[in-house]
Amino acid sequence: MVPILTVNDVKLTIDGRPILKGVNLVVNEGEIHAVLGPNGAGKSTLASLIMGINDLKEPDSGEIIFQDKLVNGLDITERAKLGITLAWQEPARFEGITVEEYLKLSGRNNPELDVVECLELVGLDCSYLNRFVDDTLSGGERKRVELASVLAMRPKLAVLDEPDSGIDFASMEDIANMIKTMRDRGTTVLMITHREEIAEIADRATLMCDGKVVQTGNPKDVGQKFKTMCVKCEVRNPELVGGE
Amino acid sequence: MATKNVLDTVAKKFIQIGLPKDLFERNRFNLLVDRNKIIVRYPAPGVRSEVIETPTGVKTKVYVEPGTKLEEPVTLCFGAAETTEVQTTEGEIVVGEGADVKFQVYGAMAEGIKLKHKNKLKVRVEKNARFEFLDLHYNGEDTFVELDTETDAYIGENAYFRSVFKQTRGRAGKVRIVLKAQVDKKGVAVFETKMIGKKDDEIYVEDVIHLNGEESRGISKSRIIAVDETKATFVGETYGNAPRCRGHIDCSEVIRGKDVTVKAVPVVVVNDETAKVTHEAAIGSIDKKQLETLMARGLTEDEAVDVIVQGMLR
Ligand SMILES: Nc1ncnc2c1ncn2[C@@H]1O[C@H](COP(=O)(O)OP(=O)(O)OP(=O)(O)O)[C@@H](O)[C@H]1O
Ligand SMILES: [Mg+2]
Repeated sequence: MVPILTVNDVKLTIDGRPILKGVNLVVNEGEIHAVLGPNGAGKSTLASLIMGINDLKEPDSGEIIFQDKLVNGLDITERAKLGITLAWQEPARFEGITVEEYLKLSGRNNPELDVVECLELVGLDCSYLNRFVDDTLSGGERKRVELASVLAMRPKLAVLDEPDSGIDFASMEDIANMIKTMRDRGTTVLMITHREEIAEIADRATLMCDGKVVQTGNPKDVGQKFKTMCVKCEVRNPELVGGE
Repeated sequence: MATKNVLDTVAKKFIQIGLPKDLFERNRFNLLVDRNKIIVRYPAPGVRSEVIETPTGVKTKVYVEPGTKLEEPVTLCFGAAETTEVQTTEGEIVVGEGADVKFQVYGAMAEGIKLKHKNKLKVRVEKNARFEFLDLHYNGEDTFVELDTETDAYIGENAYFRSVFKQTRGRAGKVRIVLKAQVDKKGVAVFETKMIGKKDDEIYVEDVIHLNGEESRGISKSRIIAVDETKATFVGETYGNAPRCRGHIDCSEVIRGKDVTVKAVPVVVVNDETAKVTHEAAIGSIDKKQLETLMARGLTEDEAVDVIVQGMLR
């Protein structure tokens, strides 16, 4: 197995508060890798550091390596050109830009771009092409368009921050299938999720808690650990273990 | 009227600054004026008009017959192919009862020219009529225009008037745009201004809407992108004078560069307890998340800014 992304002892402090406390993570080329963990564990922060967004261009210490290249300090465009992209937990809204234009911009370097197919894969029909990517799209529709734009771009590595949030329960399978399609077309997927049924499609999973990686392994074991550990975790629930 | 030669010369200069080629190829103009000369005149069905050349420009009177409904927009162009000191345009438009028309008006100031353009327009939209007035301005990057335009509109009972001022390419120059509306019972006035200022451009936009009739509505929306050392001011005033009238002012201006000055002044005045006028005003640099989203798809920062700005100005 060839690692495509290596996160090496990454530490980050924001406003004097340690958020990431030495994160180690290896994502292999071609896999779907799920990241689980309670709210505030540092999952989105890690995603931001991988893409270089939110003024998080580099950690305080540690390395982020993409295909043998150190990406610490690179700007967002440079990382995207290497083949990394990210889909936000809460995607941005754009005034005056249509779904079609957005997908075409995202896929401008993809010679096989088929915008209608991208939409279909996320469960939207072609009537959405001339809708605007603004606040007239519902939350779930906007999330789907975001995933479609990742499909359009066809990156080497897609970091998906909670692709399932805001998606109705009945459509969960569509989203799961779409992520598998993404992988089958050559995109390695690092996806953050809270849902077991989505984590199950992963090839491997990592559990994060309190700024650290607790376990990496097969999704079932990691999911199990998440459930049992987090219920009685003293970080999250001090009262359960007799804390104050 | 002018010869084909004159038209060709004007066409070339106006297409160069971005006017759609198709307008000339298919000769879509109902009226085309270069400085103070009428180049094309072709009446639209149901629209009576009078146009006279004056020493510095033209005077027009337009009457849209009641009940006239046009699929195609009435297309006009007031431009200048060469430098001239002043161009004055004066107009009066009456849209008769129940008519439904759209005017597409191109303001074209050829590359590199300098001029002062003064415009005064009176609009009257009669009962149950719908009138859209799209004022599309094209200036060259090296054009310098001092534009001073005032529109006074009366919107009758249950009538609709939308006026859009758009200048999304080239330089704005020194611009003063004043739009005023008196809105009668159940009438609707929509004012939109979308423009971009560069270098030392100065932009002043003032929208004043008086909601005088019961259940009348007004929307005043501005999107001004200020780059380099541009100074821009937007004043939106809406007066809720009648029962159950509704007004909204929405200004969202974007600054790009350390030396821009942008001021947005929403003024809401309500004289009836059942009236409601709201406003939102935002001045800021380009939304970071929008920028980062496009960059994460591989666009450079400048490309991303361009996409976002053109979207806002659409
Ligand atoms: N810019 C910031 N300023 C201050 N604190 C921050 C900042 N960004 C993140 N944090 C804090 O860092 C911690 C981790 O946040 P992060 O968003 O990474 O969590 P998460 O694992 O993605 O949680 P969730 O499941 O709720 O999305 C949180 O306690 C959060 O409050
Ligand atoms: Mg998160």
